[in-house]
Amino acid sequence: MDSNLAVGLAMGLGAIGPGIGLGIAVSKAMEALGRNPEAAGAIFVPYVLGIALTEAIAIYALVVSLLLIFVVA
Amino acid sequence: MEEGGSLVHVEIAAEPLFAIGPFTFTNSMVGALLTTAILLTVAFWFSRRAALVPNRRQSLIELPIEWMANIVHGAGGTRWRSFVPFILTIFLTVLVANWIGLLPGVGTIGLVGEHDTIVPFLRPASADLNFTLALALVTFVVFVGFGIRANGLGGWLKEFLGEPRYMSPLMAPIHIISELSRLISLSMRLFGNVFAGEVLLATMLAITTAAIFIMPLAFFVPGIFLGLELIFGFVQALVFALLAMTYISMAIAEHATHDDKHAEAPSADAVAAHPAPVQGAV
Repeated sequence: MDSNLAVGLAMGLGAIGPGIGLGIAVSKAMEALGRNPEAAGAIFVPYVLGIALTEAIAIYALVVSLLLIFVVA
Repeated sequence: MEEGGSLVHVEIAAEPLFAIGPFTFTNSMVGALLTTAILLTVAFWFSRRAALVPNRRQSLIELPIEWMANIVHGAGGTRWRSFVPFILTIFLTVLVANWIGLLPGVGTIGLVGEHDTIVPFLRPASADLNFTLALALVTFVVFVGFGIRANGLGGWLKEFLGEPRYMSPLMAPIHIISELSRLISLSMRLFGNVFAGEVLLATMLAITTAAIFIMPLAFFVPGIFLGLELIFGFVQALVFALLAMTYISMAIAEHATHDDKHAEAPSADAVAAHPAPVQGAV
């Protein structure tokens, strides 16, 4: 039962950083789009890649918590 | 987790359905076979009657292919034609494999397992780590192959040493680990997203089924998350394909762009800014 707390903490704390990072990335992308709407095509690919690499950290937290649920516990 | 009667039944590994000799057939293999069958059927059906001037249905099929090929053309560097079929294959396979999980009855129709749980007949292939790891391994082999073909075996090995040669005892292990960690991050990202999506859908369905007697409109809530998963499945397919593309074009042009900022995201501008060294490396 202790591992339930660990699962929640791992996922919750692990989502803080990517949450802040995604917020910054999306706000900057929206800002760039607002300033220069024609650049949408050029922004799109680096934007999606950046989002994916940021989100990967939350996915690592998810993997750790899944390991805690299914493997350790 | 045992007591209290869990609301949703979640299994991290694919569950075996039946076994033929030593070969066990799991439900995610059914999903992978279904993915292949859908793609092959569509491909055969539309290549048999392909016309140079497409009719409405053919242009609907060509739409995602053209769109993805345009992205690879814009961001893949000068040799985009050599790897665009691979990127398209990855994109379409992952897209169909993700969206199979949204079909009605995927996680709910199945055999009765032990403890009155359901062993579903069908599980989306990308919610199984074996499938995503296989895709990541194929991608790994392809981008290492492209790197060796473009730079030669010596040139490819020299990349691991790094630029100031006296730093290479420190940098070589870091480069090797960063190369191998792509394998883990590629496979874990797809698996984590799709599996978490499945868990999310199951949880939302379980919660709203309990609340349906109080609020009959609660069935709209899983619908919203279903639409969200539609977007996520598409985005994850796009991300896998774009990362594969970035790794391949990095491996090809590694000699030309030593600074990591250009190599990390080779945009059309970066290629246009250094046309001569890129072509010289190729």
